[in-house]
Amino acid sequence: MADPKKPRAPFAPWDRRELPGTFTVEDTAKRVGHYKWVEMRLFEALGGWVATVPELDVKMRLGTHCYKHAWHSELWHKRLPELREMNPDRLTRPPNEAMEEFFKVLTEPEDQGQTIEKLVGVYRVLIPRKIAAYTYHLNNTSTITDAPTIRSLKLALNDEFDDWRDGEMLIQALIETDEEVERAAAHQTRLEKIMLRAGGVAGPGSLGSVPETMTEEVPV
Amino acid sequence: MKKNMPPDELARDGRFVRVNMVERISDPRNGRGPTGGRVGARLTPDRPGAPDAARALMHGIFVGEIQALEGAGRTCWDFEVGAGSDDVPFQLKLDMARQCWDEARHCEISVKLSEWMGTEIGEFAESTFLFEAACNPDPVLRLTGVNRALEGLAIDVFNTMKEFGNVVGDPVLEFCEDWMLADEVTHVKMGSDWLRRLTVDDPERRKRALEFQRIVDKLFSGGGFRGDDEDSPVHLARRFREMAGFTVDEIDEISDLARQARAEARARTAGATAGAAAEAG
Repeated sequence: MADPKKPRAPFAPWDRRELPGTFTVEDTAKRVGHYKWVEMRLFEALGGWVATVPELDVKMRLGTHCYKHAWHSELWHKRLPELREMNPDRLTRPPNEAMEEFFKVLTEPEDQGQTIEKLVGVYRVLIPRKIAAYTYHLNNTSTITDAPTIRSLKLALNDEFDDWRDGEMLIQALIETDEEVERAAAHQTRLEKIMLRAGGVAGPGSLGSVPETMTEEVPV
Repeated sequence: MKKNMPPDELARDGRFVRVNMVERISDPRNGRGPTGGRVGARLTPDRPGAPDAARALMHGIFVGEIQALEGAGRTCWDFEVGAGSDDVPFQLKLDMARQCWDEARHCEISVKLSEWMGTEIGEFAESTFLFEAACNPDPVLRLTGVNRALEGLAIDVFNTMKEFGNVVGDPVLEFCEDWMLADEVTHVKMGSDWLRRLTVDDPERRKRALEFQRIVDKLFSGGGFRGDDEDSPVHLARRFREMAGFTVDEIDEISDLARQARAEARARTAGATAGAAAEAG
């Protein structure tokens, strides 16, 4: 039996968490506010589209995914006051006008024959961008001071990967002709260009800035 | 994407056949006469045409779940978050998104149960009556009409189907209906809670919402389809309704509305029969 009086290190040898992180409290609150705004716009759009898609499998998937993004927005909503933002609505905003424009174009497709465009916007443009921004945040925030954000990011990322796969498989199953491939690509290109101007779901810096060391030649 | 989508724009594949409410009720496989009056009785295995009636009811549940999913989804989209009379609280939208997920599962469950019962998608027609209640532009009236009236009806229907599954010895049917019943109690409770919270300082709006609920309740009591009477095909599930926030008085009122709807349907049937006899004479 272990000696209860024997001193032990506060961190077990396998626990490599560190104090430093890229984001201040204010930076984090700002990003979390953008995340909440994006998750809200997304679950609203998915909910609205349910009635506009004739494909039963897509209809039911959109209904399921709608809730997941609503739940993410709730996670971020609850995180904001913990980051000293007592009025969560104040920071629930897009990072810039380009992101507003992105959602305007994302939700343009309404016709019953535009399921491909609806899915491409979400699953080939927006969700990959969310995964990128969430992953960057996860890998760069303080693993000790910001543990609550890390937990929420991991929960959200788990859903995002599942939904990305669901959506991509639906798109692949729906696209049957060259013309549909072109439609999907054209819509994706249009949205990617706007997303590029937005700089990602949290605006410029969604993926951080490229460190200078990355441009140096590294000996193998 | 526009706000407030009209029911005739609901997207369906080629298997679905859309009809109006009267045509749907008049389907002889429902065990109802051409004027909507009941010719059958409570859904029991020994009732004439029970298999077809059960299959028709399950297909009706399936399309009802699709429309409930669509209605909850549109509520996420149609309203902005805010404090104005046309706005809704953030938490209400989250509840509607949760309901989307629940209704999507109910679609999955009911389409599998339909298949299990030997029914093909589109074998019975669909009316958009349920979604129409989800088109009310006032969010309080919409929530009350959908979550208290229609989801309340779903409590009654699922409880009836659960009992039917028990009587016919179908544990899969009984099991699934019980799970869906649990979700519906949650949805009705959401409707009861939001009605109370959003109208706490506006008794006039609450009155309008409850009046809208009465209209929907009466329409869905369709000729005695749902009620307290022993031979009503679908019984009022009093215990589950109480769990969902209905008072005993409110349940009694629905029972009275159902009785009234049944009497009116009988009068219509008698009138139609008399008219036909006069024409023949």
